[in-house]
Amino acid sequence: MHKLRDSPGDAEEDLTARLGRIAGKGKVYVLGLGNVDRADDGAGVLVAKDLKESFPDYSFSEHDGVEGTVLDISERREDSVVFFVDASDMRLEPGAIKVIDRREIKETEISTHRVAVALMASLLERGGKRSAVIGIQPRKIEFRGEMSPRVMRAVDAVARALRSLMESNNR
Amino acid sequence: MRELNVEALARVEGDGGITVTLDGKKVKSVTLDIHEGPRLIEQLVKGMTPADDLNVIPRICAICTLSHRYSAIRGLEKALGITPPEKAQLTRELMMLGENVESNSLHTFLLALPDFLGYPSAIAMLNDYADDVKRALRLKKYGNHVMAVTSGRIVHGENPVLGGFGKYPARKALEEIKLKAHELVPDAVRAVELFASLEYPTYSEADMMFMSVNAPKKSFGFAGDNILISNGKEVSAEDYKKLTNERVVTHSFAKRSLYQDGTFTVGANARMVNMGKRLDGQAADLFKEHYNDRWLKNPLYNNLAQAIEMLWSLEHIPDAADQVASMEDPATAEPTRQTGSGTGAVEAPRGTLYHHYEIKDGLIDVADIITPTAQNLDDIERHMKLTAERMLSEGKKDDEVRLHLEMVARAYDPCISCATHLVTLKRI
Repeated sequence: MHKLRDSPGDAEEDLTARLGRIAGKGKVYVLGLGNVDRADDGAGVLVAKDLKESFPDYSFSEHDGVEGTVLDISERREDSVVFFVDASDMRLEPGAIKVIDRREIKETEISTHRVAVALMASLLERGGKRSAVIGIQPRKIEFRGEMSPRVMRAVDAVARALRSLMESNNR
Repeated sequence: MRELNVEALARVEGDGGITVTLDGKKVKSVTLDIHEGPRLIEQLVKGMTPADDLNVIPRICAICTLSHRYSAIRGLEKALGITPPEKAQLTRELMMLGENVESNSLHTFLLALPDFLGYPSAIAMLNDYADDVKRALRLKKYGNHVMAVTSGRIVHGENPVLGGFGKYPARKALEEIKLKAHELVPDAVRAVELFASLEYPTYSEADMMFMSVNAPKKSFGFAGDNILISNGKEVSAEDYKKLTNERVVTHSFAKRSLYQDGTFTVGANARMVNMGKRLDGQAADLFKEHYNDRWLKNPLYNNLAQAIEMLWSLEHIPDAADQVASMEDPATAEPTRQTGSGTGAVEAPRGTLYHHYEIKDGLIDVADIITPTAQNLDDIERHMKLTAERMLSEGKKDDEVRLHLEMVARAYDPCISCATHLVTLKRI
């Protein structure tokens, strides 16, 4: 889970527009991060799972190996953007959604668990790819806890926005 | 009295920090403080069936997921009198080789290396060492793939079960991982050469005690029924409590271990000290070239040990894959009793991992898990204290001391998430 500075959330219509501006005409990849065993921390993985059926070549999660996926995308010769979707502690209301510029992500979140998003974003940039994080404010991240209804609604909203963009850019 | 703090220890798994307490110029204490909350896993599985336990236990950690699953399987199979078929044992060995490549590649290149090269993180290394960052990602991706082929998924795969495998890897997938392993050997050799070329500061050096499993057939490996101690003793894994002697401390959510009142080390360096002479291939050549007496005193050599071990794992994957592919899928072995006890011991990338079970009438009555990081914590603190004392006596600046303390802690590749699986905390 990411930790970010205080900032307001994005409304759903703003979210769709913002994602569209970042993506331009590029192919849209989604990488869902987090741990589904820790309640709301699994939000990003659920978004990616939702999109996987319709876009199997463009939607990935922790279960697909995030680093390898990013390495592959970074080396492809195409115009593309990667949206990392992750539960992020933005000190907002649970379920709030915010698109975060990759430069706002703290580098210190690198761990043995997986490679830092900031490193993956830097690697993508070196390959001429754009990236951003779609943060979803969690309410609870206890081990084996249930996902909060408000976070579940945010998962649906993010999946809707990304689906719309992927349908226009990736088909 | 003043404190020198590293509030958030970066590049380790989980939430921890370091506190050095100074009285004048004297170092009173150095503590690795574990802030990550306990998970109470052992209590959670009490009353479960062994099969259900296997679905919960690997959740302790997403990176050592297969080590936890394998150690649990070994303990449960002993308790239930199950003898797994040979193909199951070979497939388990193969999955452990994959996990080793996956974990060691990330730790060496991306977590440990920046300190030695003078960068604040792997991100800052990108401009000058982009090829090494990509090597790390390639190796990690491959290790993840081997884990997925053998266990069914990259994280929390469920194919390894009691008595065998729910589904064995397909021959085509085994052929692919075999070919890819050959391709990646040069990347692992690069890791060894890079870590062998680094200068290892001497501040933390002191005589150390090492423990690891004794892999069967006098080979190097990641599982065994006995524990080798670098003092020459060998103890059954069933006597793990005599080796680990767990206790609680007030500044940490993780338990601590001492052997004969002294600290000890588990992990790649311990495996090299105890079993390094059993290595073969290019890994053996490089081990002989670079191993020296400082490995017995300096925890920073764990990084080089991990690089050599990663190479050995890659060199062994083709043969392991061939052996698995050559066998027909056997039936799953069944329990011969419903009441009993057993202890599994495997070498997770960061050290020996014990899972002990007592089963009554087919249900888990007692579960006890001792993680490598919990065993290493006292040793980490000892070597950090030496580092702080020596550096401060030389008049080194606080920032430099902080960096070296972090380097010592990171060298053990600690997994705080694993270490906080259960503790009873008593505040004084």
